Amino acid sequence: MSDEENKPPVNNSENPPAEKPAEKPAEAPAPKPAAAAAAKPPEPAAPPPEAGIYGNFLKGKGIDSTPLPLSVGTETMELKPSDLRTAIKLLRESPEAKLDFLVAVSGVDSADTFDSVYHLWSYTKKDELVVKVRIPKSSVAADKLPEVPSISPEWPAADWHERETYDLVGIRYLGHRYLRRILNPWDWEGHPLRRDYKQPVDALNDKNPDSMR
Amino acid sequence: MTTIPDELKETVSTTTLDDAIDFFSRYLLDPIANAARSNSVWPLTFGTSCCAIEMMHVGMSKFDISRFGSEVFRATPRQADLIITAGTITRKMAPALITLYEQLPEPKYVIAMGACTITGGMFNDSYSVVQGVDRIIPVDIYLPGCPPRPDGILDALLKLQQKIRTESYKERRAKAYKQSPVLYVDYDTGRPIDDLVDEAKTDTALMLAGAKATTDKP
Repeated sequence: MSDEENKPPVNNSENPPAEKPAEKPAEAPAPKPAAAAAAKPPEPAAPPPEAGIYGNFLKGKGIDSTPLPLSVGTETMELKPSDLRTAIKLLRESPEAKLDFLVAVSGVDSADTFDSVYHLWSYTKKDELVVKVRIPKSSVAADKLPEVPSISPEWPAADWHERETYDLVGIRYLGHRYLRRILNPWDWEGHPLRRDYKQPVDALNDKNPDSMR
Repeated sequence: MTTIPDELKETVSTTTLDDAIDFFSRYLLDPIANAARSNSVWPLTFGTSCCAIEMMHVGMSKFDISRFGSEVFRATPRQADLIITAGTITRKMAPALITLYEQLPEPKYVIAMGACTITGGMFNDSYSVVQGVDRIIPVDIYLPGCPPRPDGILDALLKLQQKIRTESYKERRAKAYKQSPVLYVDYDTGRPIDDLVDEAKTDTALMLAGAKATTDKP
């Protein structure tokens, strides 16, 4: 049995490479655009993400949200910075949503936006929601930090998470009462998880001057 | 220099007072003092990462560092002779470690324990980790491992005792760490601690008087 099972795949794998070099030069110019054109339509055809239960819930309360693709099966939405505080408060306290546990506040330096990401969890409904606030990099001046309203006055759990995000990603949370560095020393320069961060070369670390700094 | 009569030159050897003191110290006092010191090296309770688990282990009954005279881990640097830097030293921890080292009374010793404190270890070229504790304080013994076994710590201690027994007081004195005055600052704001204490006192007085405290804005 084992011999019979092994042989066919060996034959299959050997044959295509032998055929391909012979066929390719002749076929390549013509069918490639056709194949590309045939491959392209499915991508736009993929349905745009639809508003989930929390998106519809917020819509019912008069708050617009942009649905984003599911993150590992969890509903994900983008909110405008001005809506963030009311939306989070609604999601936390309404009996329909009851997302009463703030798992984490994190920051992402995406290609063209700075994202502030909120993971919410409901103990009673065992459900989860990801809320993102995206600040386009084009709207942030070179010497300024992106600004997002802080939710720590209503939700004290966000206090240190926002300080950490400020420290490492450099998002300024407006309304935070003690927005200082939490992991790095007070005199640190720059925000280490930014894409353009250059780490210092000094007496404490002068190794590998050719590494990716 | 006193002149020595010719007839006594063959029977007399000359020496200066400094040489005599040095001789006395080197061959009589130092061995006694070093024997006492090397058998009572008290470490500081200082652990920043997983190496500290092994350091705790070596203090417990199975390995029992007390057998070698390191009787107790002292909780204050003023009563300790040795820092075992057990764990990664980050840039934020570095000023605290220097402060602790400066508070140790002379003679003081350092065992750099584990890969992180020797070279940075797995945090090689990291933006936040000091790449070797010998960049900020002088190190006597390097103890490699990630983390080293408790037996390794005992071995490092025995090596340190050997080093202490063979050193002379005069040379040790010449190599003493130069103390410098330290300005204690708040780690969050970088403001001198004295200023913060004054501010807290003012706030307390205001609150006791019924007024609202001055808020601390970032």
